[in-house]
Amino acid sequence: MSATTRPGTGPDRPGTPSDDRPDPTAPAATTDGTDRTADAEAADRPTPAAVVGGLVLVVALAALTRYLEQNVPVWTEGTPLGGVAKSVEFPVYAIALGLLGNAALLALNLRDRLAAAFRTELFIKTGVVLLGASVNLSLIVSAALPAIAQALLLITSVFLFTWWIGGRAGLDDKLRALLASAVSICGVSAAISAAGAVQAKREQLAYAASLVIVFALPSIFLLPWLAGLLDLSPAVTGAWIGGNIDTTAAVAAAGSIAGEDVLALATIVKSTQNALIGVVAIALTAYFAFKVERRPDAQAPGVGEIWRRFPKFVLGFLAASVIATVYLAQVGTDVGKPVIAVANDLRTLFFILAFVSIGLEFRAKALKDAGWRPVGVFAAATAFNLVAGLAFASVLFRGFELG
Amino acid sequence: MATPHTPSPADPTGTASPEEARRFHLNEDWAATVVGLVLLGLVLTGVLGADVVP
Repeated sequence: MSATTRPGTGPDRPGTPSDDRPDPTAPAATTDGTDRTADAEAADRPTPAAVVGGLVLVVALAALTRYLEQNVPVWTEGTPLGGVAKSVEFPVYAIALGLLGNAALLALNLRDRLAAAFRTELFIKTGVVLLGASVNLSLIVSAALPAIAQALLLITSVFLFTWWIGGRAGLDDKLRALLASAVSICGVSAAISAAGAVQAKREQLAYAASLVIVFALPSIFLLPWLAGLLDLSPAVTGAWIGGNIDTTAAVAAAGSIAGEDVLALATIVKSTQNALIGVVAIALTAYFAFKVERRPDAQAPGVGEIWRRFPKFVLGFLAASVIATVYLAQVGTDVGKPVIAVANDLRTLFFILAFVSIGLEFRAKALKDAGWRPVGVFAAATAFNLVAGLAFASVLFRGFELG
Repeated sequence: MATPHTPSPADPTGTASPEEARRFHLNEDWAATVVGLVLLGLVLTGVLGADVVP
């Protein structure tokens, strides 16, 4: 499969001309400078058989995850591994199996063909909507103010830091905007939103998305471990995980490892950050149109843009919380809790599908492809985000009650 | 520099433009919302019970 880039316009090339925006009506260019034909584009599209094959693989690995999660503690009971096996949560099995599947597909040269079925975002967003059913509306209301304050502080500070350090490293302004949005808001979704706002090149978006996924994976395990080491409260842990980890899927994985209360708060904090994508996208659109590129035909973006870019699954999460809270109030907790537990089981299933997909779509090669400067900038921004997120969460969620 | 190729949920073939990827994500947002709420509705109305969910 051929990919698209123009010679000399890689993401770590400073000073890319601003008039080098891709023309959506023109055929894409290949690495050797030739135009890709419609036939070549069509050949890249996944076939239905490949999508079905990929889905079967994801579901099979998810079923294996469930099997291992339930049986490994039984098999190892009474052995030196018994204690460890009991503490291993399902995200660990799911991601590990996804990575193993990834390696196998790579060896068989099948990974790219089946990749269309690895729908991490769709699975995790569906899971997050279902998660809303187990989060009482009062928790969302009480967490809203500190969550909004943390989101505003983190997005501003991390975005500006990443923008600044990207400039010091000589990155192209558009790539700086993509990386800054990805680290400070919500990973791939934010990078996509920013790419539209600043009219970034498709390869810049691909680099940013790759870096997000590569950096998110270790943070899934690092943050719960560090939170335990630092003896953080569940509320601070949740706020730190939700504010710090870039992608919603990785937040859910880390939260699931840290505990049910942590997962609920981490999701509320992450959803708050997600909701601010539109505001940042509008600011970027205006900044690039009027300040960076000074386009004579530039028009101020409308407020409707905020709604257009708003992550709609956040509304689903809120709606599920409202529906479940009203339902429990009407039928009582004795009758309602077992029913909500079924929704929780469904949510876990979607989370497992998402975590398996995280492992399947992981590409360490992306680090090499990106060149050292974007990787260095992303690493520095992630470290800054880690420290700033901990500081804000510790102050804003100190003494916050989760139950 | 090597060419980027990142099949992802937003860009399965690694060749989608940012605008295509944005539209895909918005559709995915609505799809997740609808599927999630429909499943919740089925659970609350008893159509999907504990015996159905593995």
